[in-house]
Amino acid sequence: MEERLNESPLIRDDEIFLRMNLAERLQHILLIITFTTLIITGLPLLFYEMKIFKSMFAFEKAFYIRGILHRVAAVILIVNIVWHSLYTIFTKRGRANFKEIIPKFKDARDAWEIFWHNVGLTQFLYKKGVFKKFFDRHPYWLFEKEPEFGRYNFIEKFEYLAVAWGSFIMIISGFFMWNVELSLRLFPLWVHDIFVIVHGYEAMLAFLAIIIWHMYNVHLNPEVFPMSKIWLNGKITGHELRTLHPLEYRKILEERRKAAERASRIKSP
Amino acid sequence: MNARSFVRSFAFLLGIGVCAASFGWTASNDDCLSCHGDKDLKSAPGKSLFLDQEKFKASVHGQAEIGCTDCHADLQKIKDFPHAEKLHPVDCAVCHDKEAARMKMSVHMQPHRAENPIVVTCADCHGTHDIRKKDDAESSVFSINIPDTCDKCHLERVKIKNGNEFIQQYRQSVHYRALEKSGLSLSASCVSCHGGHDVKAAGDPQSRVSRKSIIHTCGRCHVGIEKNYLEGVHGKDYIKGVKDVPVCTDCHSEHAILSPLDLSSRVYATKVAAVCSRCHDDERLARQYGFLTSRLKTYSDSYHGTASKFGETRVANCASCHGFHDIRTSSDPKSPINAVNLSKTCGKCHPGAGTNFAKGKVHVVSTKVENKGAYAAKVFYIIVIAALISVFLIFIAADLFHRIRTQWKND
Repeated sequence: MEERLNESPLIRDDEIFLRMNLAERLQHILLIITFTTLIITGLPLLFYEMKIFKSMFAFEKAFYIRGILHRVAAVILIVNIVWHSLYTIFTKRGRANFKEIIPKFKDARDAWEIFWHNVGLTQFLYKKGVFKKFFDRHPYWLFEKEPEFGRYNFIEKFEYLAVAWGSFIMIISGFFMWNVELSLRLFPLWVHDIFVIVHGYEAMLAFLAIIIWHMYNVHLNPEVFPMSKIWLNGKITGHELRTLHPLEYRKILEERRKAAERASRIKSP
Repeated sequence: MNARSFVRSFAFLLGIGVCAASFGWTASNDDCLSCHGDKDLKSAPGKSLFLDQEKFKASVHGQAEIGCTDCHADLQKIKDFPHAEKLHPVDCAVCHDKEAARMKMSVHMQPHRAENPIVVTCADCHGTHDIRKKDDAESSVFSINIPDTCDKCHLERVKIKNGNEFIQQYRQSVHYRALEKSGLSLSASCVSCHGGHDVKAAGDPQSRVSRKSIIHTCGRCHVGIEKNYLEGVHGKDYIKGVKDVPVCTDCHSEHAILSPLDLSSRVYATKVAAVCSRCHDDERLARQYGFLTSRLKTYSDSYHGTASKFGETRVANCASCHGFHDIRTSSDPKSPINAVNLSKTCGKCHPGAGTNFAKGKVHVVSTKVENKGAYAAKVFYIIVIAALISVFLIFIAADLFHRIRTQWKND
């Protein structure tokens, strides 16, 4: 077990680190705008019986305009994804971020451990003296310590992958829904029907994931409530880095320690 | 005219009357007009007895030079003038025997169910001294004037089961607008559908607007549509006497018939699905006649149906694919939804629609039997969504639980 992290003289708690640079923030803002537009102009189609959605399209040509907006937002989203991909491939920072965000086995273990740590059931049982011998022999099952996260924790990795996977599904199915004639030249009708079904359900999934999971983690979570401001200013403090991303903190600390050693070696040969 | 001159002319007339009677001569129109040409002539209760000579001369009877006593026949025998106040009602049947015979069978002459039956006579519709031919634009029974003539009684006096608003609905109809706004005298007025002299109650099986006759009644003007209808599935069953089959009015409504392009029409592009599904979503009818139900649901679930619900008119509705008056079963090679014709039918909106349009079924999006792939995708997503959302909520609950607990400990 590693020692608990305390403030180090090499990284002050009020030091500012750049978590999202301008390009990343713009990509995120574009994603918010296009995603919201796509949801507003698309989701009502799944709930055509609901009065609220019907009144949304009460004026003439409303449905036509809805279609145009949906397609415009889709194109902007695609452009955004292309930009993000090029950024990821061709910038050093992009490549480094991507390396960090690849899910590993550790992420599954982190999710498992933090869940049982939060529930605290095994610690409760241990205190009550239930299975005491078992827990003494296998202290892992007490989940006493929170797992330490790197630059991206399992929640953020999952969200990123979900957006990537979801966009892929939505772009493919949406493209063929946009070009029905082309789709039906290539596929039989029953395949096209699958595109329609998938587009609808994937949208539902994305919408619920954002509303529940992402909104909790960046807004409602007491740690950041009412809102984490990283998406606006891109800044994270040394303290936040130490508590939320300890592995990244250690990595930076290690680099600085080595740099300091090197500097002192140069000074006193 | 003062009292003296009245007495004088009275004596004069009396003299002529006596002379004429002695020669077997009856009073001429001029004789009648010598009194009834006076605008101030009134009966004891004060009702005007004036006859407008100009109007009578312009009337069909005036032009035919029919004399007063030809209709007021009881005056032929009267020799003493002024004649009695109460005359026999005019009997039009003396000349118009055929019309009178049909009239006798009509609802207007039959005793009504109401306590004080209203009996309609010829004059109520045709007028009296000013009767004109029915194709004379001034006539009260000229097609453009018919609605007003009928409404004299049918707006208020006559109560009907459907409520009198039902009758007023006609004024919004495409038929009335054609009469009123466009002056198309051939458009349907009341009598075009209900008949004139032989008008029957709408519920009477003998009525022209009964289910049995309505197809032919509408077909008198809409000849081509009647022909189309009788060739389609609905028409074929109609000929067989199937009672549940839709007739014109079931889809187009009765008095309130509107153009299909009118937003309020029941067969407007975005509303037609509701009309068809009244029967085609009916379990009982489906069992009896062996057709599939949940047509509306499966249509609404498709993009066509969903967009249509939001008022988009360019998407396909029932009629776009199935046709309308001559709807045929899909096995009929003439049906637009027969596999052979599908690419042409879909091609109306989707240019270049190939044979792939026929590979798969419409109205079945993601049901287990009809489209296994879509069904599997749907089930997969429902499971994934349910599972993921549950995991999210459990994780959030655990996180909050932990935070609250540590808060307590620290306090």
